[in-house]
Amino acid sequence: MHTLAALLPLGAPALPLDEAGKYVAGAFIVFMVLLVVYVAIMAAKLQRIERELRELASFAESRAKGEEAAPGRESEAPSISDSLASHGSRGGGA
Amino acid sequence: MYGKGLRPLSIATVAMLAVSLSLIFFYAPLDADQGFIQKIFYLHVPLAIVALIGFVVGGVFAIAHLRTNNRKWDAYSYVAIHMSVIFGVAVLITGAIWAKASWGHWWVWDEPTLVSFLIVFLMYATYYPFRYAIEDPERQARYASVFAITAGAFVPLNFMAVRMAQSLVHPRTFATANGGLPGEMMFVFLCSLVTMALLWVTLVKFELTAKSASGQVKRLRRALDAPAPGASSRIAPEVS
Repeated sequence: MHTLAALLPLGAPALPLDEAGKYVAGAFIVFMVLLVVYVAIMAAKLQRIERELRELASFAESRAKGEEAAPGRESEAPSISDSLASHGSRGGGA
Repeated sequence: MYGKGLRPLSIATVAMLAVSLSLIFFYAPLDADQGFIQKIFYLHVPLAIVALIGFVVGGVFAIAHLRTNNRKWDAYSYVAIHMSVIFGVAVLITGAIWAKASWGHWWVWDEPTLVSFLIVFLMYATYYPFRYAIEDPERQARYASVFAITAGAFVPLNFMAVRMAQSLVHPRTFATANGGLPGEMMFVFLCSLVTMALLWVTLVKFELTAKSASGQVKRLRRALDAPAPGASSRIAPEVS
């Protein structure tokens, strides 16, 4: 089968390899480009999530510091752990 | 939770991609009729099969959503359709390249297989404007599920109709009068099919993981009463 296959490009009524190669390369490159573009979009999404998490962490830290400085107001603003615990049971998705 | 098992799945997908590409170019015999051009077959056909099955899977998830009223299934359905539309773009482009090389035309309008796939693709392209034309999230999810079920049922019907149509241009891969693919080609084709299926599952898991993480960040922000960073640009369903 392989010996026959090796001879086929010479005799088959198909495009010659130099011309066919362009189309085959084009098709596979299109597939790879789509894949890379998708991965790039996902990377941008993850960067945005990471940035938002960093903002939230610093916001939570500054709020915790503010509560330590004014202990009398502790009952008004729940701590971060309380906030997370109260919603934690719904986390995790599926 | 959605990210569980993502790493081994990603590694398996990359490994299978490498194996499949090696098999396509170094193992699969050249086609007697089309020669080297036929290598596109190992990319184009598995992509098309996985895209069409993905549309049906989106419909099955939509049924689960309507039965349970759990928004998780709506997100699954959305992501399955979203990924299949992306695969559909690849199918149309690689198919056009193959058609140009093989038939001398980028597109042939009187070929049922091509036109039917385009119809399915365009139908699912309307899923996005249809979905986001509805503001209420509950109604949006419900109507999108009805769309996904109806369109998902249309896909196999469309496939059968095309199979029954008589065409002399587009080749039939399986169950042809001449016996279909030889063993080596079939093996490479099946490897490519498994690879594309793995890629689809991996990308769906990636998308769901990203949506889940985004949803968790929003909930954390609400829990902390933190100010939102500008207007939200989210158009996809949220997974929590």
